Amino acid sequence: MKAKKLLFVTQFEELWFDALQSLMDLRKAGFNHTVFLHVIDRDKVAMHRGKGYLKDEEVKLREMANVRFIDWAESLFEQGMEVGAYIVVGNPLPKIISTAAEENVDLIVTGRHKQGKLEELYGGSETLEILERTSTPVLVYKYMLPSGKVNERPFERPLLTLDWSPASGKAVEYLLSFKDVLKKVIAIHVINEKEFKSTSAMEIQSLRKENKQKLEEVCSLFEKEGIEAESHLYVGSTFEQIEKAASEREATMIVAGTTGKSPLKEMFLGSVGTKLTKHSMLPSLLVPASVKL
Amino acid sequence: MSKKVLTVDDDSDISIFVKTVLEENGYTPLVARNGETGLAIARDESPDLIILDVLMPKQSGIRMYRELKTDESLKNIPVIILSGIAKRTFLRSQEALTEFGDESIPEPDVYIEKPVDPMELAGTVKSLIG
Repeated sequence: MKAKKLLFVTQFEELWFDALQSLMDLRKAGFNHTVFLHVIDRDKVAMHRGKGYLKDEEVKLREMANVRFIDWAESLFEQGMEVGAYIVVGNPLPKIISTAAEENVDLIVTGRHKQGKLEELYGGSETLEILERTSTPVLVYKYMLPSGKVNERPFERPLLTLDWSPASGKAVEYLLSFKDVLKKVIAIHVINEKEFKSTSAMEIQSLRKENKQKLEEVCSLFEKEGIEAESHLYVGSTFEQIEKAASEREATMIVAGTTGKSPLKEMFLGSVGTKLTKHSMLPSLLVPASVKL
Repeated sequence: MSKKVLTVDDDSDISIFVKTVLEENGYTPLVARNGETGLAIARDESPDLIILDVLMPKQSGIRMYRELKTDESLKNIPVIILSGIAKRTFLRSQEALTEFGDESIPEPDVYIEKPVDPMELAGTVKSLIG
């Protein structure tokens, strides 16, 4: 099995060690190398009137991050995991992209950062920009379940949302590479009201049958690998139905392909990827169509 | 000709500190920022001693140490581990890798937890390679 690398991005606000520890099951899927990244926001240390560059502040923030990373690394090293760390000053987005490229990672794990009003408006676009510029899948990780418990095995019952785009095909392939940590895959397709072009019952039934068949084909791919799979069709607004399905089927995460449209377009079109990133209570694994498998 | 000492550390402050101590004590320092380039320099330059950090990008000191000790041409080069990572963790991680099917390897010659005193470092280097 090819050794895989995970980039764990933390600002020490949203993702802590228990989040990292809950991902260690991924070793069964070949992930044996974790790279930590902490970006010290340039604004925290940049030139301030009358003070200049706050070098002492930078050293303090670096050392605080270093102490945390050493502690985390010790735990992972003792489990036989390979670990690396970056503590850098700059803007998070370009630093995430450059580190992912330098380390050639297979998965980027990031949290949902606390957001101001402006960031809330544009929220989610950062993740989509990473997806567009790195071709690397991104796990927007929320490791606390709505119940308040830690999501200990997020890959155990993924809800795989399929819209039959090339990206959702890649999401299927990518998820199959996690076969050793998957227990049950719940494959769904949401039929949007717009798809009901006709009011003919026959045509609507054909649409249902066609989508159900496609879902069954996907399920059989997982079943061939010894993974339980079930399929469901939902009707209505895509994001709402995905959330409903995740809740009803007790999913541990949501997996979706992303279209590859520019983040700005995605944002204004209100894409599923953006909504999952911003609003979903569960971790969201977003797979770009350009991912190299 | 002065003896060559390779220092592998991603922290530029530590690298400069170690390089200065080595130069002041008559050694020729070689510098690498991670295990991957460290290993390449070790193969090219055959240093007399390697001072190795543990937590680094690209390839950690744990993997680099393992590669050094399983490479016929490099395994006899003495190694000082100089790291913020505890010695116990280093040894346990090597045990864990051995359990996963890798080869059993010897402990490093010297293990120093950061920070290190320049006199202590110079003395340790001298005791290993003269």
